[in-house]
Amino acid sequence: MEILQEISLNLQKGKAKLVKEQVQQAIDAGIPAEEILEKGLLSGMDVVGEKFKKNEVFVSEVLVAARAMNMGAALLKPLLSSEEHASKGKVCIGTVKGDLHDIGKNLVKMMMEGKGLEVIDLGTDVAPETYVETAIRENCQIICCSALLTTTMPVMGEVVEEAKKAGIRDKVKIMVGGAPVTEAFCQQIGADKYTADAASAADAAVELCRMGA
Amino acid sequence: MNDRENLISLFRRTGYERMPVHFSMSPDLAGRFEQYCKQTGYVCPPKAFVWLPGSALKTPRSQDFWRSLYRHSFKEGTSFDCYGVAHEPGSEACFHMTKMHHPLEEMTELEELMAYPFPEFVPEPTAEQRAGAAGAHEEGKFALGDMQCTVWETARYARGMETLMMDMMEEPKLAEFVLDRVTDNAVTLAVNFAKAGADGLFLGDDIGMQKSIMMSLELYRQYLKPRLKRVIDAAREVNPDIIILYHSCGYVTPFIRDLIEAGVDVLNPVQPECMDFEEIYREYGNDISFCGTLGTQTLMPFGTPAEIEMTLRQNLDLVGDAGGLLACPTHMLEPEVPVENVVAYLEACRNYKK
Repeated sequence: MEILQEISLNLQKGKAKLVKEQVQQAIDAGIPAEEILEKGLLSGMDVVGEKFKKNEVFVSEVLVAARAMNMGAALLKPLLSSEEHASKGKVCIGTVKGDLHDIGKNLVKMMMEGKGLEVIDLGTDVAPETYVETAIRENCQIICCSALLTTTMPVMGEVVEEAKKAGIRDKVKIMVGGAPVTEAFCQQIGADKYTADAASAADAAVELCRMGA
Repeated sequence: MNDRENLISLFRRTGYERMPVHFSMSPDLAGRFEQYCKQTGYVCPPKAFVWLPGSALKTPRSQDFWRSLYRHSFKEGTSFDCYGVAHEPGSEACFHMTKMHHPLEEMTELEELMAYPFPEFVPEPTAEQRAGAAGAHEEGKFALGDMQCTVWETARYARGMETLMMDMMEEPKLAEFVLDRVTDNAVTLAVNFAKAGADGLFLGDDIGMQKSIMMSLELYRQYLKPRLKRVIDAAREVNPDIIILYHSCGYVTPFIRDLIEAGVDVLNPVQPECMDFEEIYREYGNDISFCGTLGTQTLMPFGTPAEIEMTLRQNLDLVGDAGGLLACPTHMLEPEVPVENVVAYLEACRNYKK
């Protein structure tokens, strides 16, 4: 449908007002909300994510695209009944305790939402027990930890230990990322997945949820 | 050559006699380093720079004044800078780092931004600035004006990064207003340092992420490059020989040519985790010098003293006798850096023989 393609294209350009108008037009034309979400908004964010991975677009373009998506999604939300529309997964995300940097974490959140995941943002300076308590209370399939500092990286290991202690380690996947974090570090602390950029993190999260994390 | 002449010649790539040291430590590490010096009698080699004090505000405002502009309360220990940005302490685990709150973030109209009490600086150097530069020169040292967070970062701390980027994409009038107010101040600060006798300015705005640039070249050239150039040109009008150092974290390779065109002489910190120094040196080393290259995400916390010595030697050997590299840690050394590694860096500088 042409209007869904237009929504997708305008979202990629960050034209929030236009996206909002066109989502309303699509609703008025009787297109199911699920279809507008999938083929309009999320397909647009997919393109943005791919371009971000290839360094063809940057933080600013992702920000405006995400805002356009959120404005469109707000119109669809009341129409997406929970029976018809199950989210693709639930993630709690935060920058680990001791670390107040959040540019990367915010990007990952936007990219994950752009994939249709439900994301609970715990902010910065998040204690290991907060991740785990949230994951239990909210039935999250994934805990996603960010750190910019070598000082705070070890807290990610504490999150893994906390999840074990709470008895949820087999029910939740733990993703890690941030400037100094590496695949080797991920393995060393016993986390499940490291990704080097925000768009890849979103892809990986969808895959983990699909596999029944 | 005295230390000042040595450093200027190093930055100009016209030869140098010794490698000065430049580093900073988190308060926790600084305490341990001090203790080490006391216990062992270790004496740190002379530092590269004498940092000059900043300019005077026309109308200094109290902490309570800024606090009253926010609708919410803050933790004890929160302080407000001259733009009214709140710096709130995190948990104890955050050490010296604070969470910022952006006073312009919620504003949507140009009139609101225009009504905000932006700081203004006295357009003359202070007596302390003049005395600082004169004192440095008497001792044969390089006097440096600290102007990091020159335009983009100060503007985004005031407006919030996401909001300012959105403005740049969709509300250019709002973006230009905030960026211009900050640039006007940066020009005053730069001119004051130059008039006071500074040998160099340490400018800086983070425009790199770990593996990619933070914004497109088009956006950078539209908003930031011309404003950076305006600041540098203003300083050079007072002192054509003033040396311009520029800091950006992360991967900034695509911006280097633009930075050179804007008038930058020395690029800092060239994070080895993000950029390949050899590659950059071969591409741009005839047009710009460097400061940094010893990684604080890898080498300094996790490397051995021997690895630190070897990396410093390799990087300095690469640039050769002409100079062009002040080899130093890329960022502040954080609490997990062993004191032995700090000493290894300092001794590697002291012992480097060309």
